[in-house]
This record gives sequence, C-alpha cells and structure tokens, in this order.
Amino acid sequence: MAVLERVEYRHVGQGMVRLDGEEKVRGQALYADDVPVPDCWFGEVVRSPVPRGRLRRLVFDPAFDFSQVCVVTPEDIPGKNIVDMMGQDMPFIAYDDIQYRGEPVALVAAPTRALARAAAARIVPDIEALPAILTLSEVVDRFHRNGEGLHELAGQTIRKGDIAAGFAAADRIIEGDYWAGHQEQLYIEPQGIFAIPEKDGGVFIQGSLQCPYYIAPELIVTLNLPLEKIRVKQTAVGGAFGGKEEFPTLIAGYCALLALKCGKPVKIIYDRHQDILYTTKRHPVWTRQRTGVKNDGTITAMEVDFVLDGGAYTTLSPVVMYRGILHTTLGYKCPHVYVNGKVYRTNTFPNGAFRGFGAPQAIWGLESHMDEVASALGMTPEAFRLHNALHEGDTTGTGQTIFEPMGTPDVLEKTLARSGFSEKLGKASRGTPRDGKYYGIGLCFFGHGSGFTGDGESRLKAKAALDLEYFENGKVGVNIRISSTEMGQGTMTIMPQIGADGLRVHVDHVRCPFPDTKYAPDSGPTVASRTAMVVGGTVFGAAEKMRRQLEAFASESLFGGERVELDDNRFTGAVTGATRTFQEVGAAYLKQHGPLRVMNQFKLPDTLRWNQKTFEGDAYPSYSWGCNVAEIEIDALTLEIAVKKVTGYYDIGRVINPVLAHGQIEGGLIQALGYAVMEKMEIKDGLYDASRMQTYVVPTALDIPEFDLHFVEYPYSHTAPGAKGVGEVPMDGLAPAVANAVKSALGIRINTLPITPEKLFAAMTAARRTGEAAA
Amino acid sequence: MTAMESIDIAFPQTLPEALALMADEATRGQPLAGGTDLMVQWESGVRPPPARAIDIKHLHELHEISETHDELVIGGAVTHAHLRRTAMIRHYAPALAEAAATVGGGQIQAMGTIAGSIANASPAGDLAPSLLAADARVVVASVRGERNLSLQSFIRGYRKIDLAPDELIVRFVIPVKKPTEREQFRKLGPRAAQAISKIMGSYRGEIRDGTITRFSVALGSVAPTAVRLPDVEALVVGRTLDAALLDEAERCAAASVKPITDIRSTAEYRQWVSGRLIRGFLEHVGADN
Repeated sequence: MAVLERVEYRHVGQGMVRLDGEEKVRGQALYADDVPVPDCWFGEVVRSPVPRGRLRRLVFDPAFDFSQVCVVTPEDIPGKNIVDMMGQDMPFIAYDDIQYRGEPVALVAAPTRALARAAAARIVPDIEALPAILTLSEVVDRFHRNGEGLHELAGQTIRKGDIAAGFAAADRIIEGDYWAGHQEQLYIEPQGIFAIPEKDGGVFIQGSLQCPYYIAPELIVTLNLPLEKIRVKQTAVGGAFGGKEEFPTLIAGYCALLALKCGKPVKIIYDRHQDILYTTKRHPVWTRQRTGVKNDGTITAMEVDFVLDGGAYTTLSPVVMYRGILHTTLGYKCPHVYVNGKVYRTNTFPNGAFRGFGAPQAIWGLESHMDEVASALGMTPEAFRLHNALHEGDTTGTGQTIFEPMGTPDVLEKTLARSGFSEKLGKASRGTPRDGKYYGIGLCFFGHGSGFTGDGESRLKAKAALDLEYFENGKVGVNIRISSTEMGQGTMTIMPQIGADGLRVHVDHVRCPFPDTKYAPDSGPTVASRTAMVVGGTVFGAAEKMRRQLEAFASESLFGGERVELDDNRFTGAVTGATRTFQEVGAAYLKQHGPLRVMNQFKLPDTLRWNQKTFEGDAYPSYSWGCNVAEIEIDALTLEIAVKKVTGYYDIGRVINPVLAHGQIEGGLIQALGYAVMEKMEIKDGLYDASRMQTYVVPTALDIPEFDLHFVEYPYSHTAPGAKGVGEVPMDGLAPAVANAVKSALGIRINTLPITPEKLFAAMTAARRTGEAAA
Repeated sequence: MTAMESIDIAFPQTLPEALALMADEATRGQPLAGGTDLMVQWESGVRPPPARAIDIKHLHELHEISETHDELVIGGAVTHAHLRRTAMIRHYAPALAEAAATVGGGQIQAMGTIAGSIANASPAGDLAPSLLAADARVVVASVRGERNLSLQSFIRGYRKIDLAPDELIVRFVIPVKKPTEREQFRKLGPRAAQAISKIMGSYRGEIRDGTITRFSVALGSVAPTAVRLPDVEALVVGRTLDAALLDEAERCAAASVKPITDIRSTAEYRQWVSGRLIRGFLEHVGADN
C-alpha cells in the first residue's frame, strides 16, 4: 500500500516546453483585440479633466447628433453605481464628487472607434474644481503633522512583545526612512475587454484578465444581474503583473453597461497612452524603520511606519498594505515588534496590484535599513544578517512559529558563498574610483508569504475540477477546470504537469484550457504567488481522486474485481498483471457513464490560527525565501549605473518546471531592475508625467546583467507537489541590493527609488557640501 | 488613427518632380522619409497630421554617399542604418556613425534618415552634435535653385530650421576627419539602448607636438538646439593637455551651458555632466599621444 501511494514525479520537476508557446510564437494566439466579434461597437470613457471637484452637470454639445451613439450616465446603471470592491467607495461613473483626474463621468459606444471618440469629446463635464492632494510627499508632510487633512483609506498595526522594553534593552537605536514611487506594470498587451449581451438578458464578458471570479461577482451589484447571467472568459493575455487583477472589472463594467444599453457587443481596447494614464500602478511608499540592537548585533526591537499612497479610492489598498506590513520585519528574529500601516487617499488613479503587492516596498525599506544597522554597529552586512536570520522553529513578527524546513538561512549562506560576497565587499570602491569606475556590491535577504494573507485561503476554499472527456482530436483526455489564468507565467503548462503526475498518465492526456466561469469553478484569483502552491495542490488532489475512481471503475468493469493500479499511462491488475491503456479505460468509462467530473477543494491545516483584527498568528501558510547579491559599476565620469551581475538563491518549494521558474525569476529581476534604477513617474497636472513608452523607461535586453541563479528546494509540507510562491519573489530583493551596492561603491546611502545618476550627483554634491561645512 | 487615413501621399520619382510639387502651394506637402518622428508626433497629437505628404524616401538623388575633395557627401535620405555601417562614413566621420548607432532601435535605424533627424530639430536629436563638431554644411534645394549653408546657421532654434516652404534638404557635406584628428560621440540615456538622450555630445580634435591644435565640440539636450561650445574651444586650443587644463575645461563647459530640468534629467546634472563629457573628450583626444 505504501508503495502504491508513493508519489513519484514524472512531469513535475521537468523543464517541459510551454504548451502555449508555439501558438504565441507563431502569432496564432488570439488576444482580446484579435477575437472577431460581429457587429461590435467601440466604447470610450468621458473623463474628468480635474483631479478633484464637484460635478455640476454634463454638457452635451447640441451640434452633435447623439442619436447615432449610445451614452451611459449614472441614471442608466441598472443596479448600484458602485464598484463592488473593498471600501465600496468608488462609483462606476462619478456623479457628484470627483476624486481623480480621468475619473469616468460618462460612457459612450458607437459603431466605429472614431465616432465613439468624437462623441466622447462632445460631452463636457462642468466641474467646480476643489483643492487636491496629489503626491505621497504631501501625504507624508501631513502625516508628520498628525495626519492633518488626510483621508485614511485603511490602517493596521502589528504588535509583538513590548516595543518600549525592546528599545530599552538596546545599546543602539538606528532609524532611517525610505521612499519609492509609482511603478507601471507595462504588460505587452494593453487592457482590452469586450462584452456581448445575451438573449436571456445576461452578458458574456471576454478579454485580457487575471481573475474571472473577481469580475462576475463584482458586477452583479452594478448590473443588477444574478451571478449565473454574467459569464466571464479569458482570452490569451499578453502579460499582467497584477495590472489585470482588479482593474479589468472597471473596463468590463464599462463594456457591459454599454452593451446592455445599446444591445450590441461593445469592446474597449486601451491604447498605450490611455493604459498608462488610466490604470493601476504600484503604490508609492514611505517607510520609516527604527531598530534597536545590542552591541553584539542582536536585534531587540523593530518599529516600522509603513505609509502607502492609495490613490483616490480604497480598492485593494488595504490588502496591499497588509502584505506590506507583514514583510517589513520578515526574515529576522526579533522579540519586540510594532508596525503601523496606513493607506491614505491622494487624488490620483487608485493604486493597485503589482507583482509583490506591497512586499517589494516593505523589503526595499527593510533591507536598505539592515545594511545601515550593520554599518552603525561596525558589522559586515552578511555577519549581521547571519546573526539575526530566522531559522526553522523561530517566531516571526506576528508570532508565527515556522515548523517546516525552509530556505532560511540556506539561501543566504549559499548566495554569500557562491558570489564571494565577503571578499568582493573588501574591494568595493568606497568613494575612490579605479580605472574610471566605482565598483560596488550589495546584499539583500528576504522572505515572501505564499498564498493569501492570514486565513484568506480558508475563507476562499479554492476549488479545482477535472473533466474526463473527449478532446477535439478524438482522444480521451482530462481538462483541468480552474479559474487560474495563463498570463505568460506558465499556468497552462505546469497544471497539466501536476495533473498528469496526480493521475499518473502522460501529460499529453491533460490540458488546462482558458478559464470560463461557465465551466471552471472558483479557484480564486491568479495572484499572491498562490497558483502553483494552492491551486496546484488542489489540482494534484483532484487528479489523485480521479485516478482512484478510474482504478475502481477499471477493477469492477474490466479487471474482474482485482485491485488495479494506474501508473505510467497503464492500468495493471495486481494479481493477473493484465494491462489496459488509459485510453481504453477512459473510453470505456465515457461510454458507460458519460463525462466524469471530479472536484477538489483546498484546505489549510486545522492547526493554523490567525487573528485578522490584531494580525497575530500564522500570517501565511508558507514562505518562499530568497537572497540576492548585486554587483554594480558606476561610471566615474558620468555616474551612470550599470548592474553587472546578480547572484541569487531561491527557495520556492518544489520546482514544478525549472525552465519556467528560471524565466519567472529572471523576468522578475529585470522588472525589479527597472524599479531599482530606471522607472520613474511623477504627477504633473494631476496625471503621470511619463505616460508613453517614450518617457516611461523600462530595461531592454542590453541592460540585463549577468545572472547566476539557483534554487534550493524545501517543499511546502502540507500539499503535494509542494510548490511555494515564485511569481512575486524575484521582484522583492534587487532594489535594496543595488542601493546597498551603491553605498559600498560611493559611501552614500540613496533612500529613494529609482536610483539614477541625477540622484547620485545630488547626493554626492550634498555630501561634499556637508563635508566642507564640517571642515 | 483616423486622421492618418486621410493623408494624400504623393510619390514623385525624381528630385525635380518632388521640387515641382513643393513649388506649388496646391500640391505641396509634408516631406516624408522614414516618418519615425512624424508618425509618433501625429499619433500623439504633438502636431496635427497634414492633409498631404510627399514621399521623398525613394528619390535616388537623396541616397548618395561619396567622398570628394576632402569632403564627405551624404544624401538626405541616407538612413541611420547606412550611416552606422558604411565603411566610408565610419572612416571619415566616425562620430557620426557612432551617433547613428545609438538612435532608437534597429527598426528605427532602418527607416529614419539623416535629413529627417536634422529637420526634426529636436535638441535631443543624436546626429546634430557630431555634424556640428565636424563643421558640416547642408544643401537645400527648390525649383529656385540650391542653397549651401553651415549646419550651425541652418538650425535656428527649438524645432526651427532655415528651410523655405518649397525647399527640401538634399545632402550634407562634411569635411573628412584627417588621419591626425580624433573623434568621439557619447550619449547618456536612461538605459543602454532604445533611449532618448538626457545629454549627448561629440568632438573632433587634434594634438600636434603636445599642443591641442583643434578641438571642436558640440552638445545636445543642454539648450533649445544642439550647440557648439566656443568658449571651451578657445580655452583649450593652443594649450598643452594636462590635469589643470582638464579641470579648467570641465568648469568652462559647465559654465557655458544652461540646461533645463525635464522628464529625462535635471538641469543640475546636465550642467555638471556637460563638463564631465568635455573632460572625457579631452582625455580621449589625449590618449596614446
């Protein structure tokens, strides 16, 4: 029996070629704008030209013939005029308060895009402008003045031990603050959705999206339709990075409202300029770290302020802040912790999900600061981290004791050894260039919570279904029905790998089609580094269930009742040794019983506990771990920064597909490189100043450093095959590693992102002036 | 874009035909070669699309690349891709070839032309500094005849050039770099490639018997147009290259530009790095001498 139940992975762990690769490389994949939709109208949004104000009325140009177009204003909304997200404070179409520049005041659809645009331009909102708060620096100024005039969207604290006692026990207290601005996801394919009115009064929504089961439940309130009348299907998605997590509900709602009114299919495809201006960004952050330490390097107290610029409405900001504050102290042993998280309103587009979801902002501050603490103590960055790093059996800032083997401190030790960090740090320039370059090297060590925060996975109860049915090629196969989406990261490939190993059949017999809420149960959104771990585990469990059912069927119907085992595509009788192929047994089953659907549901261990009010307990089901060493060169003539090499080890649990996992890590590091040294947007006249790819600069192939990246596998112990989070982890560590490398190169701490030559010049000039003043 | 659908484009087969179209207000149109700047501007609304355009990309008269009497002649429709790869240009005007190699990416370089880059008259145009440092001249033509102007006088201001409505840029005439002279182009952008310059510059210089005998230098993105730095040139010519001169020249260069802060960089950095680029150019002209 033990032998029968032993898990032997044939596909998991293999660098299988991605199943959606060929059609994408050949240009055959249909993205939202490629899908032919007969008789489709084009939607446009009429937007507020001011960031804050009171809408008096809409002025319709009498010279324009509005009978040829369809206009939706708040009166046309069948249900409630709210976007049913957290806070429930955002109207679908503004009708009174205007809270950001670009806020919708009306929707227009027309048979051509040109006519829709022309009509939208002829509807002018008459708005009484009011004073606005536009930037994080204004927010932080007010935060220092007791929050004067601020509108708090969310707040949460974490307390462990007695922070005052922790500081009293410290020999030194080191404080620093760290800033980062907006970051744009800049997926290749802009946002795009179309909505088709159905004969039964419902609506079919299809497009570029991450989370089909966000859109349908969120739109029932607005559209006043029962859930079953809102069907959502995903098209091929050209990248998302969180940008297609909550945002598509808005554009889907615009399309659906227009389609239901005009009775035609309506689509909206943003161009790049619209997409940058009117979609979510990574939350700007200001974080202050105050750390108490003993002279021997032991951390006694960690006090953190973590303030996010939420934009105009609540949306997902509280959850982003939760994940953020949980990562502001993660990875270190500390008996006394106090973290104060806040999200405040600014009058800009609501900030939202972006790979890492608050964690990169938190780790940016934490890991910059840990270097400063080490430096204040006269310790090396690595000695300080090794002294304080969390081990199995240690307790996190929320009081979570981690009882499973995990990648800390292994990733730290291995990265230090592999990169030769200690020796190379001795060669850092420290402000004196050699051969026209400053050389620097920086370290960053971090964890990342896998899956939803706290008891989120218990409440969600992710479901997966497996359907045994005929494929269109005439073969019997299994379709994995989950709402997890393929958006470039590999869901469509790893799920068949996992399902095939649970079934013990060849992967050719298993597919993972685009999710459609008509067929796929709710496995939760494709976010939070949860897909491989949570949904993968649920699929594996469903596959094992289906295997047992098929074994039982085969035994009864085809093997005369003897015990039958399915392995490596063959059913084998335990006594007779007779065999039948998966195809034979599958076909017999389908003939006798029709299609077989097997469901499974994710369940966290009963031992997990979480208090959502106090943020005490098991903050995440498990953690991924990572460590980065960045080596940089700064041109002594111009202060241009080149990140030359990144060495890293990652514990992402069991690696399902090493090729795709490396792709995730490298891609995420490149995105993190942009965050670290390039990507910059500021607010000008209430809008982002960098609103095109011409001005919003992300890395190209020539900017990519040498990568030396490795995995250590500490599988998640609760669910086979034991993956943990991978998608967000690479976004976490590079920016602080680069800042720490800059410190070693120039002797200067840069505490704002991105780190640009302009900032280095300003900081060096300021340091020189301070030095001259001191002399 | 809908507006672009309504552009009438004429395809003259010869330069005289094109000039004849340009001569008559009824047939005149926006000269269009690679379109790499124009189409972006039309799409983004920076400038409205014209009703008429005249395709000049295929006029064989604008594709000349030749060397005559110590001068290099480059037709207006020669692309960045040709500038960077043509051996004659790499030999006689290497900084121009280096500059062309940094414009946009491969697709832009295959379409964009030298005349288009100059006609766009952006201070961030990458080709102007190396042409200015080489004392290049530009020849424009109309049915009324040709005019031959120094590039410096041809570029009149921010997005302004000395071109009459009926004229086309037909070629550039560039004094060749002498074997004893050196050149370098350097561009600072926000990333390693596909970048619009924060600042860029180019020089042509010569040292004989330890004395700087020529140092022509121009910078872009520090003023409304690409500019020569006559104060720096006057300072260094006739001097011996030493550490003191490098410091003086760096200070002089920084003092002689008044750049602005915009989305790509700050005035302070641009001013400082102007001096640093000049220091780098002087080190370059002095290397191995």
